[in-house]
Amino acid sequence: MTPVDERERWEVLELIGACVANELEGERAREAERLIFENPDYRRVAESYSRMLVMLSALGAEEVEAPEEIVSYVVRRAYYSAFLRQAETFLGALGRSYLDAFVYYLGLRPRDVSGRESYGGGRI
Amino acid sequence: MCDSRGPVGVTQKLEQACLGALGSVIVLSYGIVGWVSDLRPRGERTSSVNAGDRILVARASRGDVEAFTKLVRANSSLVYRVALRMLGPEDAQDASQEVWVRVWRNIGGFKGESAFSTWLYRITMNTCLSARERESRRTAREYAEGMPYLLAEPSGGEADPEAAALDAERREEIEAALKYVRTEHRAALVLRHMEGLSYAEIAEVLEVPDGTAKGWVSRGRATMLLALAEENDKRRERRRSGGTAGEAVG
Repeated sequence: MTPVDERERWEVLELIGACVANELEGERAREAERLIFENPDYRRVAESYSRMLVMLSALGAEEVEAPEEIVSYVVRRAYYSAFLRQAETFLGALGRSYLDAFVYYLGLRPRDVSGRESYGGGRI
Repeated sequence: MCDSRGPVGVTQKLEQACLGALGSVIVLSYGIVGWVSDLRPRGERTSSVNAGDRILVARASRGDVEAFTKLVRANSSLVYRVALRMLGPEDAQDASQEVWVRVWRNIGGFKGESAFSTWLYRITMNTCLSARERESRRTAREYAEGMPYLLAEPSGGEADPEAAALDAERREEIEAALKYVRTEHRAALVLRHMEGLSYAEIAEVLEVPDGTAKGWVSRGRATMLLALAEENDKRRERRRSGGTAGEAVG
């Protein structure tokens, strides 16, 4: 095989790969086809690429089922987090109402401008 | 190669012969290319958000766990499959769980500007890339000089390449070789050649320009071929030495 430096080797490898994957157009495509046609080594590289792409594609097309533990774990976490969120909202509202009532009980709520007293849970 | 000297008639005939040979090589390579492209599962996994998904996402973002459960059930195989390709079976389950926890936490921020699957691919890839951050600092593998070749299997694999590709030994080779591809390049390679995404979709998932996505796929493909050729050689060598040892014992 003609000795080629490392950079050139990578360039040729990537060019042949792109050609086999049908991603080249115009002059680049013709250049790659010429390389493949003229050099038996490059022709074998192209064949290896097409074999690899077939294998990758076939492996990618295989159906993979996620283990049931993943779904059950995730759903459990979601329910738990939703429960905590609701509990937080409920307890927050309850706490605010109690505080309001306590403030009212102690008579600490200031009268508003109209002179009417405000009560816990809103104005009347 | 096609430079021939001699009488005009002979030269013309030689030129015609050369052109004919070139033509058949091109036709053959296009045949291979077309066949490879046909095998790629284009589009079927990357459909845009359908009405059903949109409703489920909207309900889940309001905290509806039932809707979220339906989304998980419908898309768990996508997440697990990508995690499996990126991390291997040891870490795929933990990563998938982490992905869904992140989805639940951030689903309110999903605006529906891209397909739900694209958003899901992005979270999955980000999770896998964080899990493999250390790997990028790993020293680069030295590859043998010369061109990498994958030798055809003698057991008639060429007749039915898809069936041959599903062979357990080849699957192991691919999975072993994938580990030697740099994480970002592997992500791009998996999305392109195993998930069948377009470069625009890959760029969107990995949040890089189109040109970078193309470069990563190209480099990943070349590294993968080198690693696969080495894996292939190693296995062949092991098989041969195993056979020789067997003969010696016999």
